[in-house]
Amino acid sequence: MSDLTRRHLLKLGSTLLAGAFTPLNVSAKTSEINWGKLGRLDYTKAKATPTICFACTNHCGVIGWEQDGIVRKIEGNPLDPNSQGNICSKAQGMISYTYYPERILYPLRRVGKRGEGKWKRITWDEAYDELAAKLRPLRENGTPEEFVFHYGRDKTKGVTKHFTNAFGTPHRLNRRSICSSNRRAPLMSFYGRDFEWETQDLENTKYCVNFGGNPYEAYQGGLFMVHRLQRARVEKGAKLVTFEVRPSNTASKSDEFHTLMPGTDGAVAGAMIHTILKENLQDEKFWNRWSNYSLEDLRKQVKDYTPEWAEQKSGVKASDIKRIAIEFAKAAPACCTMSNRGSAKHYNGMQADRLIRTLDVLVGNVGKPGGYCLSSLRGWSGHYGQEGLPKLKLPEPKASSPKPWGLGEGFNETAFKKLPKEIQDRVNNFPDKWRKKYFGELATPSEYPLSWHWYSMRVGQLVYPYIQEGRQKVSVYMSFTLGASFGYPEANVVREVLQDEKLIPFHVAIDIGYGEQSALADMILPEATSLERWDYHSTNNYGLIPYTGVRQPLVKPQGESKTMPQMFRELAHKIGGGMEKHFTYKDDESFYKDWYKNLPMEWEEFKRRGIWQDATREKDYELYERPLTEAELKDASVPKGEGELVQKGGKVIGIVKDGKPVRGFPTPNRKINVFDPIFEEAAKAVGLPLTDGNASSAPVFHDVPEHVNLADDHYIFSTFKWNVHTQGRSGHWKYNAEIIHTNPVFMHPDTGKALGVKEGDSVELSVFRPHGHTYRAKEEGIMGSFQNHVRFLKGMHPKVVMCSHHVGHFEHGIVGKSDTKESLPKAAKTPSLVDQDLKGGVWWSKKNGGIGGGVHINDALPINPAPLIGGQNWYDNVCKIEKV
Amino acid sequence: MSETELMPWEKIGPKFKKSYKRAGMLIELDRCIGCHSCSVSCKTENEVPLGNFRMRVRYLEQPDNKQISFTPLICMHCVDAPCLKACPSKAIRKQDDGRIYIDESRCDLEKECVEACPYGAISINVEKEVAEKCDFCQHRTDVGLEPACVDNCPTDALVFGDLDDPESKISKLAAKRKAKPWKPEAKTNPSVLYVKHEKWMESKVNTGVQLDPKDQDITYEQNNLGK
Repeated sequence: MSDLTRRHLLKLGSTLLAGAFTPLNVSAKTSEINWGKLGRLDYTKAKATPTICFACTNHCGVIGWEQDGIVRKIEGNPLDPNSQGNICSKAQGMISYTYYPERILYPLRRVGKRGEGKWKRITWDEAYDELAAKLRPLRENGTPEEFVFHYGRDKTKGVTKHFTNAFGTPHRLNRRSICSSNRRAPLMSFYGRDFEWETQDLENTKYCVNFGGNPYEAYQGGLFMVHRLQRARVEKGAKLVTFEVRPSNTASKSDEFHTLMPGTDGAVAGAMIHTILKENLQDEKFWNRWSNYSLEDLRKQVKDYTPEWAEQKSGVKASDIKRIAIEFAKAAPACCTMSNRGSAKHYNGMQADRLIRTLDVLVGNVGKPGGYCLSSLRGWSGHYGQEGLPKLKLPEPKASSPKPWGLGEGFNETAFKKLPKEIQDRVNNFPDKWRKKYFGELATPSEYPLSWHWYSMRVGQLVYPYIQEGRQKVSVYMSFTLGASFGYPEANVVREVLQDEKLIPFHVAIDIGYGEQSALADMILPEATSLERWDYHSTNNYGLIPYTGVRQPLVKPQGESKTMPQMFRELAHKIGGGMEKHFTYKDDESFYKDWYKNLPMEWEEFKRRGIWQDATREKDYELYERPLTEAELKDASVPKGEGELVQKGGKVIGIVKDGKPVRGFPTPNRKINVFDPIFEEAAKAVGLPLTDGNASSAPVFHDVPEHVNLADDHYIFSTFKWNVHTQGRSGHWKYNAEIIHTNPVFMHPDTGKALGVKEGDSVELSVFRPHGHTYRAKEEGIMGSFQNHVRFLKGMHPKVVMCSHHVGHFEHGIVGKSDTKESLPKAAKTPSLVDQDLKGGVWWSKKNGGIGGGVHINDALPINPAPLIGGQNWYDNVCKIEKV
Repeated sequence: MSETELMPWEKIGPKFKKSYKRAGMLIELDRCIGCHSCSVSCKTENEVPLGNFRMRVRYLEQPDNKQISFTPLICMHCVDAPCLKACPSKAIRKQDDGRIYIDESRCDLEKECVEACPYGAISINVEKEVAEKCDFCQHRTDVGLEPACVDNCPTDALVFGDLDDPESKISKLAAKRKAKPWKPEAKTNPSVLYVKHEKWMESKVNTGVQLDPKDQDITYEQNNLGK
């Protein structure tokens, strides 16, 4: 660089440029992938391959562009009927993580102390041999449950379950309670399926009331929703009303944004029900035809939920609540509710969502154009809503599920008898339906029966405390794309447990990067990224016609990384003892080809398109009114009486309406269960007082216990997700991290005034334990605290302070840690991956004069599972704030 | 295979190139959701280094409201482009379709263009030692594709097309939605037009404070907007 040029550049005088002058010590080997120095893509030479994005939970159909063996660009696949060719910024993140210079590409074995960061490279054979030697005896000795598999993001759609079943362990743990179980329970109760959750017909809606959902930034299905909602709003004048505690992008794009007190969404929904009934705007015909609860009982239930009462609770004006309720009901059936973590991640969230769900039933918009629809759920195996679709299933010989635990014939008594007596007693007193589903405290925690009553949602945040308490012996712990030691509440407890070799004798982490979880492993197995592997894909379509897509590799796996099907196939054969019989395929493509073999499309053509859909199929409107077909009615017993159930082979398949057998809803009574005795039953089984709102069989509003009489100097501390990030997975995606790498404390200017702080000042936030019937409730004192600086926003609720939870990584390399040097253990270093852009570190690194990478806050968030269901109450935390 | 049987991503090549008399872009702010898909897509497409942005999305708290506005900003491809006049080495030229293009091989980093641009659209690429900015993805439009930001906007907030063709989608939309240029007083006659643009945004966009008051605002500093 000439002196002249250098002087010119320095004239700009910004500290960020100073960092970029670090000598570019690049050895130009031809085999290197020097990201940032490849030049622009030549589209006439590049190859386009359709695949499915993996950057967040949406899974949009995308086209990957590859040139010279390197994936260079991600675009939307216009054939995807859900995304309609749209993508977001996270899609490009797949390239960032595939070519990240600190990606792990070889199997590694710990050589120093656990967590010390000393590793050696081993071969796959060495890795398999050691792992198989540890796993084999567990199967042979009849203690397969001591193998615990725990995932953060698993989109293999059955491959990992196939492995754990073939092994014989019930411990395929997840993070559903971290995410959505408080919100899925009401769906299961109301509709019998969570349908990957509701699929509002947003394209055609006229009025959408949103309780704390944030599809404009982060929401499962958010991208599918938002392009439809924006069209409906801008082109057709649809109205979006949002209740939120901060000016999220959704709140900011809403036609009305009302700030409300956290945990009071249910009060607003209750007052809306009250108003609709008072104004007589309900769809009585629909309600009486499909709900299991009488309007009279509902009236009694919401009698006291006046808009004025709700105003006192929520801070939303009574006149607004009334008006919104009336506008919503008058727009029916082309109206819908929306809710997500904002309403659900509270002590009262399950009941809040039941009240919100009631609104849709009350105005009769369920399944109607523009209304609250339910669409085919994933996994095409002939479920409700999948009638007539080709059946797609994992093609390996099925392994039987493990035996449930408990006493008596057909139960796994050995495992059961190892449980503490108190737990054995509780389980023995459970009704049979639950005893037959009980698989120990990690898989089916007995204090949270609703977390496994419908299906296995589990309570992920209690896994580590339970291991610590000795509720389950672990011999081999396998974590898969899991960032619990960074992102779970009380992540310090996760790290404590993972550090303890008595509790976790062997930890194998499967991941693509060196994150906080893999840093605490004994062995790391490198996984192929989403651009290098196959996956089966289907999800609910907001266009309301089911479709399926395929994730396919655009390039070969880098280094020695392997796909999960390959890893499990090879490991199963090493373990042997019969496991190998369930893993018969030689390669991934033939395995996935057979998975899709019933699709009426040639495999090559499917790969060329990436998506299959029968676009002539009728939209999923009013599935419940569809008559049962002749084929379905064959050998079925069809009663004559109105409302009686149609049964076939011991299963209920429909209901008689107007004298004809129709499908109804996939609930046991084929109706919508606004009232459900399961909540009271579960409460009784675990000793939750019936005065606790969670125990109510009818939807009810109840206060978050620690929010009652909140002291003037106490605030609610809440978290949120940014649009450019995806949980703790994206901290090292350079372009995304460049946009958001910090997490200032958002607060209302008036809150700042009350605290005597100015924008930019640092504060210390100290969080208290929760109150209600939950883990370590009411323990005195501060459970965790952190410091960060303040940003004022007028859209914040004055009693709420918020930070995003993505940043503040202490692993994940130069970008994740906002550093100037790489920190990947030497043994894992991959000479083939270079990123010109990262030489000298990122401009926001403190060492380059920048602000650094934000503050890790998850140690200061208490484990707080909601009663019965166990969903983490992320947004209830009470804190105090002091100026530093 | 006939053209009708081709997948959209298979219709690539010089024969698919569309001609424009005046290439331009329309940005409908009421459709924009601030997702940064355009800016990240642009960086991936054009290998824009960390620290530089050709397309940037600003978050602006509304002065009289509690909501936040989102504003994508790029090179305005002005008909009377001050950068073009300012460049002493004649590295900046106007293409036949009106787009303003930096010829990197001729750029000797005099930096006059950065100073001259009223929109802060030009920055210095330290690695390549050139001034850089948006060129409406010339390499994409040459083979029939739209600029990366336009293709990758999930809410159709960005429309690319021919402003001189009254029948084009962009011209019709611009007329229907009363599109206006950013900072008309700069008198540069931009080929990028905005819908639902409000005057307060223009001053606020240059004040530097994004969502973190203590973070460096790189587009502010680097694009010389502090002048």
